[in-house]
Amino acid sequence: MASASGSTVIGESILINGNLNGDEDLTVRGRVEGTVTLSKTLVVEPSGTVKAEVQVRNCIIAGAVIGNVTATESVEITKEGRMVGDIAAPRVIIVDGASFKGRVDMGEVDVGADRVAPRALSRPSRPALGTARAAPRAAAKEEGEGEAPAAPRPPAPPPALGMGAVKRKVVVRRK
Amino acid sequence: MAGIEKPAAPRSGAQTVIGSTIVIDGEVSGDEDLVIEGTVKGKVTLRQGLYVEGSGVIEADIETARVEVSGQVTGNIAATEKVELKADCRVVGDIRSPRILIADGAVFRGNVDMDVGARAPKGK
Repeated sequence: MASASGSTVIGESILINGNLNGDEDLTVRGRVEGTVTLSKTLVVEPSGTVKAEVQVRNCIIAGAVIGNVTATESVEITKEGRMVGDIAAPRVIIVDGASFKGRVDMGEVDVGADRVAPRALSRPSRPALGTARAAPRAAAKEEGEGEAPAAPRPPAPPPALGMGAVKRKVVVRRK
Repeated sequence: MAGIEKPAAPRSGAQTVIGSTIVIDGEVSGDEDLVIEGTVKGKVTLRQGLYVEGSGVIEADIETARVEVSGQVTGNIAATEKVELKADCRVVGDIRSPRILIADGAVFRGNVDMDVGARAPKGK
């Protein structure tokens, strides 16, 4: 996996200081400082140190990385990996034993992100109130308390139903 | 895709290869053999051999022990042991080394100074 022909290897005693761009896999066993921009995979081996702004497709960190890593696919920190910096990638894997300090950004996560807000409002929160009145299950539960007063009632009881609905949704996600 | 470097590669374990699509803008330094199939701009400082393959392009000053060029080099070369310009290489710049080999077919423009071995650079 590491040193296939046609791929680039930075040996243990090599220091590169500056900008590094490329369209092929790069394996770092030495030191790279500056910026690294690849359209493929960056592998930092246990002997490797990268002090750089990294922009790649995939990044596998088994050595040391200081700097921000942006990957279009994934970033993986293996059990030997050490990293200080921010990660931005749709898939981030940090295994047991890895050490990492920094922020992780996996992009749009549907827990009330700003961009998703309009959709989020139309799905979980407001509809919860809506379903409290309209959905048959909610209505069935409220029947015991009274059908007619359900509409003019102050918003106190619907939140309880709303929480029930949220709980159900969480269970569905676990499956 | 590669496989060209076989004659040149394994000396004292040429572990470092700069692949053909790689562009480095900055300084490269180290204590091991370096095979360059891509592009390096800036400066190269090594204590071992530098092998510039046919696809390799260097726009940099080079300081190493040995240099073998099959590709393109623009910049001054200073080697403590040997500089070898192979056929089909293109080199523009000054070369300073105790041993300089220029093969038939090599294209070279620049000064050659072999007067370095014993005497340190102090003119001519």
